Amino acid sequence: MNRKSTIKAFIFCLVLAAGLYLYFGFYNPSHDAIDKATTEVSVSSDELTSTYILNEKNANSIYRGKVIEVDGVVKKVSFLNNRNTVLLYGNDKYSNVLCDMQSNQIEKVKELKPGQKIRIKGVCKGFLKDAIVLNCMLINTQINE
Amino acid sequence: MNKIIILLFMLTGFTDVEVKSDQIITRQGQTSFFSYTSVENIEAKNNQVLSIIDLSKHKIAVSMLMNAFVFKKSLMHEHFNESYIESDLYPKATFEGDIIDFDPLAPGTQIKIIKGDLTIHGITKEVEIKTTIENNNGNYLLTGDFEVAVKDFDIKIPPILAPNIAKTISITFRFEYQPYEK
Repeated sequence: MNRKSTIKAFIFCLVLAAGLYLYFGFYNPSHDAIDKATTEVSVSSDELTSTYILNEKNANSIYRGKVIEVDGVVKKVSFLNNRNTVLLYGNDKYSNVLCDMQSNQIEKVKELKPGQKIRIKGVCKGFLKDAIVLNCMLINTQINE
Repeated sequence: MNKIIILLFMLTGFTDVEVKSDQIITRQGQTSFFSYTSVENIEAKNNQVLSIIDLSKHKIAVSMLMNAFVFKKSLMHEHFNESYIESDLYPKATFEGDIIDFDPLAPGTQIKIIKGDLTIHGITKEVEIKTTIENNNGNYLLTGDFEVAVKDFDIKIPPILAPNIAKTISITFRFEYQPYEK
């Protein structure tokens, strides 16, 4: 009997440890499941870049770490370094919105054309020369007339 | 007279080309870091590294967002940003340096030392990085790797996690540049 309880306790601990490992190791409190995450801010690519150029600190307080939806026009699509990246025109020639698309978006990304108006959803990480948005997915793609 | 006009055109044409090709840029440079210990291996990748090279001045600048590093496990991402790098306080890592004895016009591969200031976690250290530069018809690719000591950048690892994180972190980079049109 005593031995049985020890085994039970041992199995319980094992299950608990495995559970904790799975929870902390794989549960993702960031925004990997972007399609299920609620959009916190909606903004145009023009406004996103101009807010950053005007005052980066202020822009970070609005956008950084948030799930955002960005409306913009495709400047370029790139598959460099095995990533699917969409560049949206910003409010000046040098600054764009750089969207790193999720791998499940590849078929949709391949069909995008420069000049196309799109909306993407992703997590804003901040600004270098471009506003950087990761874990992106396309929503509501439409073609310019 | 016609010859002079042609010559003038050629001169202005060449000057134009020179100004345009002075600077090259990548917005999607790749930087990875690795920490190997007997307990666990940690790897993270940043695919949105910005870098500009001034070909005539042989200068290079690099900037990256620390919270844009992608880890296999989200807990590692959280520890990295919140406890070690403190990316709210120090959102970027930067490097500014000189490519020593760089010949931008030489075709093919050249291996050069880049010497400059690396800033991580608000601490700046002078580093020398051996870099392979490939010039393929004016398209430049820079690759290389180097190591940094965690303690050099005042990154505090709690004693309980010390066995999980290497004292020296290996960093690799791959930057594919394009002309920077002004």
